[in-house]
Amino acid sequence: MNSKKFIALGALSMLGAAALVGCDKKSKYTEFTMFSAMEGSELNPDNDIQNIIAEKTGVRVKETWLTGQTAEEAVGSIIASGKLPDFIDGGNGMTQLYAGGYLVAWDPYLEKYPNLKEMYTDAEWENFRQSDGKIYWANVFNNTYGAPKAPGHNDEAFWIQVRVLEWAGYPEIKTLDEYFDLIERYYKENPTFTDPTGAEVPIIPYTVQAQDWLYFALENPPQFLDGYPNDGSVIVERDTGKVIDYNTTDTAKAYFKKMNEEYQKGIVDKEFATQNHDQYIQKLSKGQVLGICDQNWDFNYDVQPALKTAGLDELGCEYIPLGLTIDGKREQRWHTYGDTLNASSGCAVTTSCKDPDKAFKFLSDILEQEIHDLRYWGVKDVDYLVDENGVYYRTQEMRDKQNDTAYKASHMCQYSYMPQWLGTSRDGINAMQPQEQPIEFRASFSKPLATCFDKYGAEGYPDLIGSVIEENTAWFPMWSYSNELKPAYPEDAADGSHKAGDVWPAGVAWENMGKCKHEWLPKLVMSEDFDADWEAYMADYKKCKPEDFLNEMQEVVYQRIEAAK
Amino acid sequence: MADDMNQDVNVETQNAEPEVIETVTVERQSAPSAIKVPVSLEEQEKLKKLGKKKISKAELKRQSVLLILGAIFFVYGIVFYYLPLAGWFMAFQHFTMKNEFFDSFFHSRFVGLGKFSFLFRFDLLKEAFDQTGNVFDALAQWVDGAMFIRTLRNTLGMGVLNLVTSFVAAILFAILLNEVKNKMGKKLVQTISYLPHFLSWIIVTGILRETLSSTGIVNEMLRALHIVEDSYNFFLEPALFWPIVAISNVWKETGWNAIIYLAAITAIDPCLYEAAEIDGAGRFNKIRYITLPGIAPTIVILLVMNIGNVLNAGFEVQYLLRNGVIQKVAETVDIYVLEWGIGKGDYSLGTAAGMFKSAVSIILIIIANKVAKKSGQSGLF
Repeated sequence: MNSKKFIALGALSMLGAAALVGCDKKSKYTEFTMFSAMEGSELNPDNDIQNIIAEKTGVRVKETWLTGQTAEEAVGSIIASGKLPDFIDGGNGMTQLYAGGYLVAWDPYLEKYPNLKEMYTDAEWENFRQSDGKIYWANVFNNTYGAPKAPGHNDEAFWIQVRVLEWAGYPEIKTLDEYFDLIERYYKENPTFTDPTGAEVPIIPYTVQAQDWLYFALENPPQFLDGYPNDGSVIVERDTGKVIDYNTTDTAKAYFKKMNEEYQKGIVDKEFATQNHDQYIQKLSKGQVLGICDQNWDFNYDVQPALKTAGLDELGCEYIPLGLTIDGKREQRWHTYGDTLNASSGCAVTTSCKDPDKAFKFLSDILEQEIHDLRYWGVKDVDYLVDENGVYYRTQEMRDKQNDTAYKASHMCQYSYMPQWLGTSRDGINAMQPQEQPIEFRASFSKPLATCFDKYGAEGYPDLIGSVIEENTAWFPMWSYSNELKPAYPEDAADGSHKAGDVWPAGVAWENMGKCKHEWLPKLVMSEDFDADWEAYMADYKKCKPEDFLNEMQEVVYQRIEAAK
Repeated sequence: MADDMNQDVNVETQNAEPEVIETVTVERQSAPSAIKVPVSLEEQEKLKKLGKKKISKAELKRQSVLLILGAIFFVYGIVFYYLPLAGWFMAFQHFTMKNEFFDSFFHSRFVGLGKFSFLFRFDLLKEAFDQTGNVFDALAQWVDGAMFIRTLRNTLGMGVLNLVTSFVAAILFAILLNEVKNKMGKKLVQTISYLPHFLSWIIVTGILRETLSSTGIVNEMLRALHIVEDSYNFFLEPALFWPIVAISNVWKETGWNAIIYLAAITAIDPCLYEAAEIDGAGRFNKIRYITLPGIAPTIVILLVMNIGNVLNAGFEVQYLLRNGVIQKVAETVDIYVLEWGIGKGDYSLGTAAGMFKSAVSIILIIIANKVAKKSGQSGLF
């Protein structure tokens, strides 16, 4: 036998073997696919816990994520291609999916699978009903089982590095002026610092994102500084339900003027207007940036593990949220207590799914306590231990592993955009998710962070912010409506006032306002003549006809108040 | 496309060659001279008959292979280029995507020119004219206010700038490279210069961001030369965006575009240069009187084709480099189609925008072709 034949034979037998293995895998579980309109990391194909869950439920789900495009564009191209995954969380693109008839209604399965029904109360489920009266998706986040355990703050705040507070002797920071004053003083004395590798790293006192939709960090602080919660697109007066445009308030002007001053002083990052999200995260992960304004979910899931891995947490580079207002005298609502129900997006099953019943059964199965523990805690005795009282805990080694991305990709499988719980586990002792377990929460703290919490006498992040504790209003959050605005009506109105395809004035105004702010807000911060530019901005802004948008938002507030009665 | 073109050009230059050759030298008359063989009277008669001959069955049979080959391409053209044009009908309805494409295609609401009026916003123009009473001011306000018109302006502006710069750069580069005597050096430069063509735009924009960043090489140089005190942020100046795009285009495509011209130059008969040298022409005169006229047909054809492409000024570069501050000069028609058509789910609006773009491209290409023919060069069609 000559060598070529030998090689050919070898290759052929390997091909055969591969084919056999392939067949074997296929026959074992039902394979589903899922697309989530958020950036995320894919799991390794032979992920341990994914296999265990598949063993128990008979289903394995291959998750894919957003890469580069916006959520709407991604969903648009998925629809246009006609190849839908079995599960989808389309983010802002949910209405497109619904209008196209690509989703399977939950209603029959809600009765069949009590685990799913249990996710929301009947009144809450009402919010998910679409114009045909059916439910097509359920938001999986911010949903608490039993007693709330949340010691975290997943919302927006002005954040500051622990070491700056430590340097100043843990002062109380209440206003924007105090915040920037502290950063300025610290920066003056410490223009650079030495990182654990011994490198001299220059400090960037303050940075903020201005790209794409993440520009909210620059755009929406005026609503918080005025003491209102994150309705996202407008302020709504608490007592009267009156809608106010936070872009044009005196607070807005004062805030941007302050930003402008700080930019001229060299405190605000010179590159803030052109940096992309990767560059931004990179700066934070190096521990370079003293202060930012951002949503916790937008940076901390990436930044905190990176700081820990680099040993920067022990230098006090982690971030503390502050609840600032414009004058420091009013109540503020940076932290939202209780669940924020966002009915505008969620996990859905598509019509491309060959076996919807199995898909819903799977969604129900993964809410079973055993599997929920596997998803978030991991494998018992490998990823967590149980003490004599039944309390779950982790050793330091286990915690370090949870911060290791390679280990997470090969071992952990959260199915993080599928139904899940926060709050207390069904055993009544543990938290549904480890980050809410009190012992785990504090145990993962670095020394500077722990000291800081002690000095302020705080148990959780919300205590550091000190927002007022109260019930959410009936209309909260308004962004769940403004996110769905389109330049043309997607459907005929029930009362015949408009038809599908007619220009939607509120949607056009909203789009134009966004474009206008995208251009002007960074310009205002960098402006040489702030007052003149502010006037020019206001003139441009008026041309977008914001009243078209505001009037419609006002109507929605009244509708929501009516609906809640 | 480029390959077809290249062949066409070669054929033409070959056709043109023998006439010249006869006057200059006898040695090179071997291959292409076949074309010039005089046709006998008898054969001319035959040819005439052939022209008038009716299509007989025998003739069909004789040409069956050719016919089948032709039919394949005919069908291909119909299926892939003309049938999809039916989708243009979407521009006149409000297309809502339902599960079944054809179902939604036939049952969407017909809105006539509604989508176009949303694109062009003539109401804004009229309003501006009523206010200012000045046509130019009104037009300026209109371009500023109507988003599609603005993207159209950007696309045209960047397209023309790209066309001019990349065109001039490629021709200059080809001529300069042709003058290099060292063969190794010439090959080396040519290979290196066309490599960037194979980089994807995402990499090129990454390089651009890096070189133009505050710690990038450009700012380092400017600081070292004391032209700027502090680093200059290039991506915040609206006036610089088009040039940045044009320069990156030149960097990426010059080497590649020059290949066609280099091929055209090699097809020029070396005897012409020798003769010119005897007549006392220097390097510069040789370029001016031999090389440039020699590649003129190539230049014209490429120009006509590229003018049709002016509105394809690009998508990736602008999409990846834009930011809020310069969005008004950065967004092109393609970005508009993506944002409003796919992003906002208004497929009809996207179709209308794309359709208008095609219409403008066709008009441009017809004008360019007419101009080329008028100026005595052979056109594309």
